[in-house]
Amino acid sequence: MNSTWFLYMAFAACLLFVGIYCLLTMKNVIKLFIGIEVISKGVSLALLATGFVKKNTLLAQSLVITFIVVEVSLVATALAIIINIYRHTKSLDIRKLTKLKG
Amino acid sequence: MIWQIILLSGLVLFSILAILSKDLIKSAISLALASLFLGILFFQMNAPYAGVFEISVVAGLITVLFMLTIALTKAEGDVRESRLARLVFPLVFVVFILIDVLVMKGLLQKVPALPETSEPGAFGDVLWKQRTFDLIGQLAIILAGVFSMLALFRKRNKDE
Repeated sequence: MNSTWFLYMAFAACLLFVGIYCLLTMKNVIKLFIGIEVISKGVSLALLATGFVKKNTLLAQSLVITFIVVEVSLVATALAIIINIYRHTKSLDIRKLTKLKG
Repeated sequence: MIWQIILLSGLVLFSILAILSKDLIKSAISLALASLFLGILFFQMNAPYAGVFEISVVAGLITVLFMLTIALTKAEGDVRESRLARLVFPLVFVVFILIDVLVMKGLLQKVPALPETSEPGAFGDVLWKQRTFDLIGQLAIILAGVFSMLALFRKRNKDE
């Protein structure tokens, strides 16, 4: 069972890395948000895999469902903010938001 | 075990495609496919409710929201991503996998996790009776999301 846990957690860490790499290197706001989504996939995989290995699937499942609900709410709000950013700056470039400084 | 590795590889592969693809619509579709793979994995882990949520909500609803945003912003190709990030990615990823494989096994033995117990009862009992406070939190978050949408798309008054 430990090797199964190792496999799942190693792949979850890969997803986290892919998401963080996207957040660090990309400039398009929608792309950045896709990066956040990839990170959230890694987190839900880690949650459920741990529950599965420790025979606590029901608890892990309820946590994952809570996480998915939070994620949907976050996505809806963030995409609305992205649309407003586009209306203001006529671009999806994150660097144009530096005008908000000072 | 082989199926699990295939599904996990598909999940990571489509996630990589989602972040490296130049076309935003292709990125959104890749993200949906990654969610589909994750949903099938959840089914394999005896978690059908989480699988259904993942496939219907994350692969379905969130993809629709992404498509809608991409259509409303119509700014494809507007932002030029650096080519260096795409070129360097495979190298950095291979290095990360090596570190991941070396470190993860030791880490799993040290990090505390839930104790191994065989839990009785059904999923409904756990969700409605043990995690009631989570459900209240979920309701609050959904309401917060609805009100934030209303606030963000509120029409301006004439005198503003």
